[in-house]
Amino acid sequence: MTRDLLHAEDVREVVRKAYGALDGGTTAVACMLYSSEELALVPDSAVDRALGVANHLRHAEIEPGETILDLGCGAGIDTVLAAHRTGSEGRVLALDFLPQMLERTAAAAAEVGLTNVETLEGEIEAIPLPDACVDHVVSNGVINLAPRKARVLAECARVLRPGGKLTVSDLTVDDDELPPEILTNPATWAG
Amino acid sequence: MAGALTERDFVAKLEQAGFEEIEVVSRDPRSVDDSAMYPLFTPEVIELMRRLLTPERQERVTTAVVVRARKSA
Repeated sequence: MTRDLLHAEDVREVVRKAYGALDGGTTAVACMLYSSEELALVPDSAVDRALGVANHLRHAEIEPGETILDLGCGAGIDTVLAAHRTGSEGRVLALDFLPQMLERTAAAAAEVGLTNVETLEGEIEAIPLPDACVDHVVSNGVINLAPRKARVLAECARVLRPGGKLTVSDLTVDDDELPPEILTNPATWAG
Repeated sequence: MAGALTERDFVAKLEQAGFEEIEVVSRDPRSVDDSAMYPLFTPEVIELMRRLLTPERQERVTTAVVVRARKSA
């Protein structure tokens, strides 16, 4: 079901404010989702700002040399892990709408010596990339935050080359609705 | 999570966008306690979930899925 309890612009504003106000404290989330071997590859600054909902990269068939787009990179934990796997011949384009998240991702990549990460400011509903330029789109818990999910997925298809891969994690809900008192609380549109 | 789709709708939108070989490779229920780990959820909304949801529903507020797909060649 696509809910229309808030205006699209209100959803964007709620998400922007909520994520802009965050500054760490989610190491427990990272420990829930990632192995100690994975976390050892990532700076503490990114581990303590993990906001994903699953470990999609564990299921991602990432080949060395791939160009990967990380949709909604946050503080960079998945970008760094993907960049390790695609190697110096590949690259990861880390997209986020918040400049401070891009700064954190760039800093995290630099801290572990990765030179194959490029940051990109923009909305996931209007990805600022040309058609068919990436091999693999990854994303962790971001698509549910977008007011226009069909548009996001169409954009993913547009920037992928023919035959390109998509590996995403996201939250889904059952058919039985949560109570309106919960669904109309702005915190549940960002979380 | 208020903007989350059902798994069925998520897959349908992927198909509409031109993806194929769509497979849901992982499903993990997320509880109220899991939600409380994220500072995005205010203490007020966590309390609201604990008060309004049945104990059973509190154990599966949402499901975290991992989906793989390919763009048509």
